Order: sequence, then structure tokens, then C-alpha cells
Amino acid sequence: MMVAYPLLAFAIMLAMILTGLPIAVAMAAVGIVGGVLAYGLPFLESVSPVVWGVQNDNLLTSVPLFVLLGEILLRTGIADRMYRALAMWMGRMPGGLLHSNIGTCALFAATSGSSVATAATVGTVALPSLQSGGYSMRHSLGSLAAGGTLGIMIPPSVNLIVYGSLTSTSVGQLFLAGVIPGLLLTALFMGFIAISSLRGEPRREVAVPLAQRLHALLDLVPPLVIFLIVMGSIYSGLATTTESAALGVIAAMGFAAKGRGLNWPTLRTCFIQTARVSGMILLIITAAFILNLTISLTGVAETMSAWVASLGLSATSFLLALIVFYLVLGMFMDVLSMQVATIPITFPMAMALGIDPVWFGIFVVLMCEVGLITPPVGMNLFVVHGIRPDNGTMADVIRGALPYVVIMLGFALLLIAAPSIALWLPEQMQ
Amino acid sequence: MARLENLLAALFGSIFLGLSALIAIEVVVRKVFGVSLQGADELGGYALAVGSTLAFTLALFGRNHIRVDVLHERLSVTWQAALNWLSSLLMAGFAALLGVLAIGVIRDTLDFQSTAQTSWATPLIYPQSVWYVGQTVFMLAAAAIALRASYLLARGRLAQLNADLQPRSVKEEVDEELHDLAARQEGARS
Repeated sequence: MMVAYPLLAFAIMLAMILTGLPIAVAMAAVGIVGGVLAYGLPFLESVSPVVWGVQNDNLLTSVPLFVLLGEILLRTGIADRMYRALAMWMGRMPGGLLHSNIGTCALFAATSGSSVATAATVGTVALPSLQSGGYSMRHSLGSLAAGGTLGIMIPPSVNLIVYGSLTSTSVGQLFLAGVIPGLLLTALFMGFIAISSLRGEPRREVAVPLAQRLHALLDLVPPLVIFLIVMGSIYSGLATTTESAALGVIAAMGFAAKGRGLNWPTLRTCFIQTARVSGMILLIITAAFILNLTISLTGVAETMSAWVASLGLSATSFLLALIVFYLVLGMFMDVLSMQVATIPITFPMAMALGIDPVWFGIFVVLMCEVGLITPPVGMNLFVVHGIRPDNGTMADVIRGALPYVVIMLGFALLLIAAPSIALWLPEQMQ
Repeated sequence: MARLENLLAALFGSIFLGLSALIAIEVVVRKVFGVSLQGADELGGYALAVGSTLAFTLALFGRNHIRVDVLHERLSVTWQAALNWLSSLLMAGFAALLGVLAIGVIRDTLDFQSTAQTSWATPLIYPQSVWYVGQTVFMLAAAAIALRASYLLARGRLAQLNADLQPRSVKEEVDEELHDLAARQEGARS
């Protein structure tokens, strides 16, 4: 098969997506039309078992469970209290409250949750006090937008589950691989904030009595316990990914009940939101598996692998090219869709070049994180712009987030130079 | 409509909360007594199959099936209407395809009397019939939306069409979250 066909099909799919047709439909349409062109109508008969197979896949059951977990933590107020506790403790470091933005986002990320909800929660509580504390609005918005990206790297991460399911890579290994890069990135963000605020911005912190601060530590217990349950049960081999998600949900329900946050209106909101988000994700995954079937039957993967091998690229130059590719694509596309739409093509190429599948997952998710804060379409930029209390411009938010884009790109290079940043922890488990 | 949404959401939530409880019991029993109850895995698969069809429908009602709006918001009202209509039509087509594929799955199961490859050996027709009903609900909902879009287009009510079916913007989502947050803090204070 000529390499032009898959490239053409990919271009058509991208065009459909960018004109604003539903992403799941664009992917399924290209998969179905491609399959029928190659094999005629009998192709459809081979699609049936795939559809049942995806929707009956025990691993993917973890997607709605993790989304539900995040929703419970958010809607019952556990996440709100966590931010207040962190703000009391981190206010004294150079850069002060900006750290609590990053810290809360990282901790919230560690217990899963939507980036819109995280940024809205943290932002609404944080921005007024940041404004009255004399912080520059640009820095505050930038830290919020960047902090919100940590969610898809620090486990449990729905993006990593989606990657694992599309490429048959162990999600337990991917989760472990995401821990150190996620924490390192958090540290880099905080380091940047500390250094850039050394030049002394005027700040007026409200001193909180020690007793009150110690009491607030209790509010950090639920998110930490849930993180330990989820990651601990995976790491110790006690539970599978899906089982760990279920344990997390039960623990979250317990904490919510204890904090008197449980009532029907709240639960209903959790359920509806979980259903909407997981319905959106699962429909895209169903479509992706239909597309994957066409790709594997028609030998597109082999064609693309042979093509990339014939170019004589080294793994490093291939990855550098991918950084540019994902950077550009991430400017225009929603990141989950970008991930799902590109993996069927880029994954076999990466494998042909001998790149580790777990490492590649972390790399792809890192590039998705960048896509969340690159204009013109950067989800988190829109979100923090939507919650700011003053009437500043979008350009302000973009400039505030720009240093973080640079940090992430630098981190991507570091990850290429030292793959063990991602691979060390999963190797310890084997 | 709101009642249907509530019903579906309650059903969806109960499935996954119930599943979580079952799995938690299974994990504890396995760890403490060293016996596996079996079946939690299998049930998880069925829960997803049925739950995802409900979720497809709820996401459809909430306009959550992602569409990239970078070009969309720059187009004229007419073009937006055309794209929104086409999107509803394609979505209905995809839902119908899933419905037809589901029939294929059911037919194979009946032909071969298939059972699950597990210790329970559940006849697959039980979970698959429920899944099929869910898939059909999704198909009908998508078809109804596409029909309404076509009607609005034919009557030239483009503004209404766009209001009903435009891609969900981030602003909408942020506003919803802020509203929910305000309600939460109100609740925390009282």
C-alpha cells in the first residue's frame, strides 16, 4: 500500500474535525469508509464484535469510575477545603499564594477531576485574594492555567487510560511512570514562581494563627488518603486499575458522608456530569477502535512503520519532529481528541524505532499538556480567562502561560535525554 | 426532558456506585480470606456496556460530544446552521450504525448460544439485551435531534437551530461550574 492513502485519510479526518463536526463521528467515518473501500460491505460484520468488545472492556470501566471519583471530591466540597488548607501553608514561600495554585492543582490532579472544574474552583477562591494581595494578574492566571495541565500526567489520569487501552500498554505501568514526571514538572513550575517573584512584588499576606493552620491540615487528609488507596493498591498489586478506581470511589463516598456533603441534588450533579464526560470519552474511544480495526486490517501501521524506517530517522530526531507536530496540532485541537486521533499512526512508528511504549505514553501526554495552554485553542487559557475578576485581555493570559510552555518543552527534551525519569518507577515494580 | 435526564442519571449513578461497592467487597475478601468471589470483573464489563449507552445519550442531551469550535465561531449564522445541522445528521448516522452493529452482535450471540468465557459462563444474551436497549435509546434520541434540526432548517429558523445545537463553549462550562460553586459555598455556610 502506498503511504499517500493513510496520510490522505488522516488529512480528511483532521479537516472534518477542524470544521467542527463531532470528533467521534469524524474518526468513525474515516474508519468505516476506509474499511468498506478496502473490503466492501462485509467489513461491517467484523466491526460488530469490536463495538461490543470496547464497551465490555473491564479496563475502560475505570474511566467512568475515576471521573465519578473526581466529581464526588469536587461537588461535596472536599476539594474546596483542600485549597484553603494549602493556601494557609504555602502563603509564606516566595511567590506565596501562586504556589498554592500549583499545589492544589497537582493534588487535585492526583485525585482526578476535570481541568475546567479545578481551575474554576481554585480560581474563584484564589483570584480575589491574589488581587487584593498585590500579585500580578498575569502571573496568577498563568500559574492557574499551567497548574491545571498537571491533571492529565499525575495519576490517576484518564488520558493515560485511553492511551493504554488504544495501544494495549499496561495502565498500571503508565500510572507509575506518570508519577515522577508529574511531580518534577510541579517542582519546576514552583521553582519558576519562586525565582520570578524574588524580585519582590509587594504582597500583603494575612497571618493565620498556628492552631488554625494545624487544624486545616485535617482537610488534606481525604485527598491524600484517596491518592494512597488508588496508587497503593495498584503499586502493591492488590488491585487492578479498575478495582483501584472503585476503592477510591467508595473512600470518597465515605469522606463525603462524614463531611455531610452527601445529598441527592449533589449526587445528581455528580452523576449527570460523570455520565456526560464519560459518554463523550467512550464514544470517541468506540470510534477510535473502529478506526484502529481498519488500520490494522489494511496494514496501515506496517506501511507507516516501513515508511518512517525508510526515512532513516533516528529515534531522537523522530521525537523532535513529533514535538513540533504536537505543538502545532495542540494549538488548534482539543487534546483528548488530538491524542486519540494521532496515536494509531504515531504509536506504530515509535515502536518501529524501538521506543518504549510506556515512555511514549508519558511523552504524548506531556505534549497534550502543552496543548492545553497554547493559543489560539488552549482549553485552560479560556477557562482562566473566563473566571478572572478584572477585565484584562486574553493576550495577558497567553503571556502569563508562555513561560510554562517553555518549561514544558524543555522538560520534553529532558525526558528524551533521560528516559529513566519516566521508566525508573515502573521498573522497580517488576 | 429534565425528568428523563434525571432518570437516566440516577440509573447510571446507581450502576457505578453499586459496582464500586461490589468491587470493594471483592478486593477486601480476596485480601483477607484469600478467596475470590469471581464475577466482579465480569460485572464491571457489563456495567460499562450498559452505562456507556446511557452516557452517550446524556452527553448528547448536554451537547458534550466534542466539536472543535475554532472555525465555527468565526462563521456566518447560515454556515453555522449548516454545520450544526450536518453534525446532528452525522451523529444520528453514527448512532444508527452502532444500533445496526448491535443487532449483528445479538444475532451472533443467538446463533452460537454464546456464553461469557468466565467461571459463571453467563449466557451473553442477558447483558447484551440490556445493552441493545440502551443503544436503541441513543439511536432514537440522536434521530429525534436530527429530525428537529432538519425541521428548523426547512422552516428557516436558523437562530433557533444554532441556539439548540451549537458546540458547547468553554464559557458555558465555566459559567456552569461557577454557578455550582456558588451553590456549594451557600450550602457550606448554612
